[in-house]
Amino acid sequence: MKKRIVIVGGGIGGTMTANNMVSKLGVEIRRNQVEVMLISNSPWHYYKPAFMYVAFDMYHKAELRRKQATLLRPEVRFVVDEVEAFEFSASRLHTRSGAHYDYDYLVVSTGCLPAPERIEGLAEAGDHFYQFEPARRLAQKLRTIERGRIFITVTFPKTPDVPHQCGIAPIETTLMVDELLRRRGVRDRVEILYTYPSVSQLLRNCLFMQKQTCEVLPQIFSDRDIHFKRGFTLERVDPDARVAHSSEGDSEDFDILMSTPPIRAVDAVINSGVSEAAEDEGWLPTNRRSLQLKGHPNVYCMGDTVDLPISKAGGSCHNQSPVIIDNIAFDLRQGATPAVYDGRVQAIAQMGLEAGMPLWYDYDQDVQPTPPTKVGGLMRKTFNRGVYWATARGLV
Amino acid sequence: MLTATKPQDAAAVLADPDTAAGLRDLAEHLAPLLQTRRLHNVVDLLSATSDFIDMADDQLTQKLAKAFEEVVWAGWSAGNALRSASATAADSEPPTLWQLSRQLNDPEVRRGLFFVIQLLGAVGRQVALEAEIPEDD
Repeated sequence: MKKRIVIVGGGIGGTMTANNMVSKLGVEIRRNQVEVMLISNSPWHYYKPAFMYVAFDMYHKAELRRKQATLLRPEVRFVVDEVEAFEFSASRLHTRSGAHYDYDYLVVSTGCLPAPERIEGLAEAGDHFYQFEPARRLAQKLRTIERGRIFITVTFPKTPDVPHQCGIAPIETTLMVDELLRRRGVRDRVEILYTYPSVSQLLRNCLFMQKQTCEVLPQIFSDRDIHFKRGFTLERVDPDARVAHSSEGDSEDFDILMSTPPIRAVDAVINSGVSEAAEDEGWLPTNRRSLQLKGHPNVYCMGDTVDLPISKAGGSCHNQSPVIIDNIAFDLRQGATPAVYDGRVQAIAQMGLEAGMPLWYDYDQDVQPTPPTKVGGLMRKTFNRGVYWATARGLV
Repeated sequence: MLTATKPQDAAAVLADPDTAAGLRDLAEHLAPLLQTRRLHNVVDLLSATSDFIDMADDQLTQKLAKAFEEVVWAGWSAGNALRSASATAADSEPPTLWQLSRQLNDPEVRRGLFFVIQLLGAVGRQVALEAEIPEDD
């Protein structure tokens, strides 16, 4: 009987997992014993971190996407459809087209969605760079602001110890805003105020979710005349008065409100009913070592969908994907799931428009901040324009 | 002169006149790079190399090694076929059309032709993927 492995989600996690899965199970696929299927709701694959660059007029749409089918090995069966319901206990899923698929193994890599509407007034008055169109709108404002105040806020999920999307992004974009305004010659007329909430995962009253990076930030910001404030948890925004209010009782006015908004899982994941996350955020309860969905050992979770204290970023998927592939391959062949995820994440942070800083961490070891360099910036640019696509194809 | 095989403490190494002379030469050599801050780029490159080593893990090694093996396999297989075909063609009289068509009786020749046709089909399927432009979403 042919076994079916279904991967849901055509982002970086799902794509690299599909490609590396057919590579790992090449013999079984040639013998027609295994089928690997990828279901995505889009025929396009977007390099999501590039949305950040769109806000700074550094990327065109055609440069940050590829046709999904051209990224997949021919052994992968690719289906463009939206998964509308998961039946984890029956090992079955249903799609918008009316089809249903039974599976022997499932990999959920459906990402997360910005949800600014979860904070009163934020959708109307705030901007963000986590999707293409909002990033374009932000670009228009950054391109034209002549004076005033850019106010930066970061919102964490309500679920304890779960981070917001791409942990370093608020710092990256704050430094990029500073450099962009200097290039435009208006920096001395525009104040930048970076704020961070009172609770950031396990830390309290910091400027970043990890202590060592938090400790070096005041100097980095002061050197650039970027103002910063701890303990500002965005609670509501008054779009008419252009004032942001915090749950700590503070208020700040703004001309541009550049936010890292609340996030949530996709509808099908939320509606599956297995999440234990707060406020209907929908994160899947994931075994932190094996990456199996708790209570459903033939289902694996990765990337932004998990409830782990690990960055919701492609650098997490890059390390989770081999663990999932190994566990499924071992289970198929030997009935065991020995591979273990150690929480490893790696990335090259964009520190301003030109400099970069390679970083990595895991469950036990925080990021060790190092001075950003032009070489690091070149590495990031090379990754953005070329290495990313090789990674999606499973080559790196 | 201190030898590499004989352990010395750092002070003794630095006190050695040959070491001092070598360092003086090196400093002169590096001076233009130091004075223009261009040596910083080299140090940054070393740092990035070190970062890459720290970030590399078993999985990355496996993927790179597999990509290497596939590229080598493709080159090796093509090289073997080219070498063998070239030697046979060079050492033989050019066949007549009749002799050439009789080669099709050889099942391995037919398998080779089948391979080429399958290869063209796979290329065609990939070209077709490039030709279709999905709607914007």
